[in-house]
Amino acid sequence: MAPSDAVAAFQVPVERATLANGLRVVVSPERAAPVVCVAVYYGVGMRLEPRGRTGFAHLFEHLMFQGSPQMAKMELVGLVQANGGLLNGSTRTDFTNYFEVMPSHTLELALWMEADRMRGPVITQTELDNQRDVVKNEIRVNVLNRPYGSFPWIDMQERAFTNWHNAHNGYGDMVDLDAASMADVREFFDTYYSPANAVLVVVGDADPSEVFAMARRYFEGLPAAPPPPEAEIGEPRQEEERRFSRVDPLAPAPALAIAYHTPPVGTPEYYAMGLLHQALAEGDDSLLHAELVSKRGYASEVDGGINFLGHMHNARTPLLWCVNLVHDTDVTPNEIIEAFDEVVERLREHGLDAAALARARTKARASLFSTIADQYIPGFGLADLLAAFELIEGDASHVNELDARFKAVTPELVAEVARDYLRRENRVILELHAGAPTGAEAVS
Amino acid sequence: MTGVDTGLPPRPSLGSPRPAALASRRREVLPSGMKTALVQSGGVPVVALRLVVEAGSAHLQPGQIWLDRLMHDFLREGSATHDRAQFADALATMGSSLDVDGDEHTTVLRTQVLAEHAAEATALLIGLARAPRFPVEETARLISDQQRWAEIASQEPQWRAHAAFRASLYRGHPYGAVLPSGSTMASFTASDVRAFWERHTGADRATLMAAGKFDADAVIEAASRASDSWQSPAVASVAGPVVRGERIVRFVPRPGSEQTTLRVGLPVPAPGHGDYIALEVANALLGGSFSSRITQNIREQKGYTYSPSSQISTRPRDAYWVESADVTTPVTMPALNEILGEIDRLRAEQPSDEEVMGITNYVAGLSAIRSATLSGLLDHLEFLAQHGLTDAYSAGYEAAVRSVTAAEIWRVTRDYLRPERLTIVAVGDPAEVRSGLEQYGAVIEG
Repeated sequence: MAPSDAVAAFQVPVERATLANGLRVVVSPERAAPVVCVAVYYGVGMRLEPRGRTGFAHLFEHLMFQGSPQMAKMELVGLVQANGGLLNGSTRTDFTNYFEVMPSHTLELALWMEADRMRGPVITQTELDNQRDVVKNEIRVNVLNRPYGSFPWIDMQERAFTNWHNAHNGYGDMVDLDAASMADVREFFDTYYSPANAVLVVVGDADPSEVFAMARRYFEGLPAAPPPPEAEIGEPRQEEERRFSRVDPLAPAPALAIAYHTPPVGTPEYYAMGLLHQALAEGDDSLLHAELVSKRGYASEVDGGINFLGHMHNARTPLLWCVNLVHDTDVTPNEIIEAFDEVVERLREHGLDAAALARARTKARASLFSTIADQYIPGFGLADLLAAFELIEGDASHVNELDARFKAVTPELVAEVARDYLRRENRVILELHAGAPTGAEAVS
Repeated sequence: MTGVDTGLPPRPSLGSPRPAALASRRREVLPSGMKTALVQSGGVPVVALRLVVEAGSAHLQPGQIWLDRLMHDFLREGSATHDRAQFADALATMGSSLDVDGDEHTTVLRTQVLAEHAAEATALLIGLARAPRFPVEETARLISDQQRWAEIASQEPQWRAHAAFRASLYRGHPYGAVLPSGSTMASFTASDVRAFWERHTGADRATLMAAGKFDADAVIEAASRASDSWQSPAVASVAGPVVRGERIVRFVPRPGSEQTTLRVGLPVPAPGHGDYIALEVANALLGGSFSSRITQNIREQKGYTYSPSSQISTRPRDAYWVESADVTTPVTMPALNEILGEIDRLRAEQPSDEEVMGITNYVAGLSAIRSATLSGLLDHLEFLAQHGLTDAYSAGYEAAVRSVTAAEIWRVTRDYLRPERLTIVAVGDPAEVRSGLEQYGAVIEG
């Protein structure tokens, strides 16, 4: 079914400027509600943290809330909230972000706060130790003290990649977190948190030329700094299927994950892979849901995607397309893989028919719109996309090309990518074995 | 360490706020009796749809815990006109999938599609609610899915804590029964699901909610047609819970647990009560925001936990306040003492006007921010419906929040957050935690 002209023509406004120190500024005005999202993205994530310091990029993100030249600890949080705003930050594979959503008359204050934060954390050993404890508790609650805590994200990355940058546990090993020092903080900041390695994005009720003027006022005093060193994050081509298993002592039911290395980000093949994901694993109509959930009853859901810490548009290569499911003990991993392979091999042989391809495109478009119309944080979904395109492709306005990129994918290219990338030699299989007691006695 | 000192200009002073216009709501009762609430919002051509039906877990019989969840899955099996695959394909062609969930009083069918399909998706959702397929042959598969979820939930300390907290607060009431046993679920049938659905659904018990950029006339017309002559059964209302007002200390053993999962809370007045908004502000000040007292104390000062937070959980004419935190096992008692200590401190001393001004700004601002998103708008419409509140409540909400004074916060804290009525739940390692809990009261295990 062809979309209407209005839908196909939907574009977001994008205005860009670069300051003398290299800081890039992106503005997308949307003035319906008096709310503005201010986000600062730094071009460093878990992939680039130093060896022996796993988890450091994330710990550093926490430290950026602990005080800066003009703001004592908790002052930034207090200022945002007392002005009617919310804030957060997150560490991803390739970026670290900090954002606040504020009433639009406080935009200039938000820019002032982010400009001060960009001048660097002003902290002591006390704040470092405090946030080290907080981060360890984050890892306990999200990973160590729950079933499937590291599955598949950490477990699969550690096995599918061979380059340390891509393979290591980005949440961090406790011993590495314990080793993090004030000297590490200084060095990491000096290496990666320079204006030229950052993007400031403003989405919402703001006038672009006013934003550019304010950005110059508060950010241009920061000196330019040399770009961070080039990192070797490439992966060698995988030549044969690899298979692993681990026991999760808290999991009551086994689970299975299957991951394939994706085509390079930004290429036509990558968008074909995105459509293959939509067709295979996204939604109740997807081929794997129909086969593994509805027809065979092996699992109640099939989860999957490209990029464990985001979506297909906000990370760099190398990436994995991974699908995973929790299943019962009365079906073996091999039986599931066999059923999975039937679906994938059919696709590799025949590609997608016209109706299925059209549906995949529609789902990709709707998913993009849903990202832009963020469900709970106005402006943030779009700010995230704009920052990602600015950092990855050097131009935030490329977000407006996405629909065309998906549209340009031909049935032939889909079939070709299925053949080239959904090869067994290109995949990694991980079985998770249940280590917890099961059955009615486990449920009180 | 020192950051870069490069002459940042002084902190700017602020202009005055631009008033937010409340997005206009179109409310109609259709000839069938179905209610509609439609909001135009945002610039992206998508529409978020929810069909809210008054059938929730509180309507279940004893022994039917999670029959509602089984029903949610059964609803994804298609309708009289569209089998499972046809239904999934139809929604995918509009850009999305069906999600079904609910709470104690509702079942919600939800989707978000490209706006041009708003009317079509509306008809599809209502068609499903009127004539779900509930195929008998899928029963075993769907029950085993739910049993698997129940087993996973039973391994998650937060679920265990939630279940123990609810069981303490609502003993003998459906609100108190949130985790099933695998064996009870084994006896559920498709007929149980169908009987439950048919006994509780009809146009009079359904509300269609939509938010986005869409053709409202077309949605109204589609909803009118699809709900035409959909009969509603007479349903007895659920008796409210008997509110318990006593100190209960409950321990759930989880040997080897890395953290102790804590719940500390008690019943409070529900939305619509004259003190509710002041309680919301008190909650944000005490534990419900990043800069709140409990969070600053046990996270930012002491590092005991990552994500402490308090909230007010509501049902019609019922609510409780609860602080939740997962704390490192060896600091369980210090963390509990700090939580209780912060409650005592707010009871002992009126907060400063400055702190209250900041927190009222935050609560009011958050409401404006949520209203700028589709899900936030629809959540709010559901909240109004659930508590019998009108659009006047939304219109007056920000002003009501801003008018809450320090004296009121102090009073509602003293009136409602009474230590002798607090239920304390801990899920953790028995060897490390059990004996320390005795200082808070006689410990009930399990």
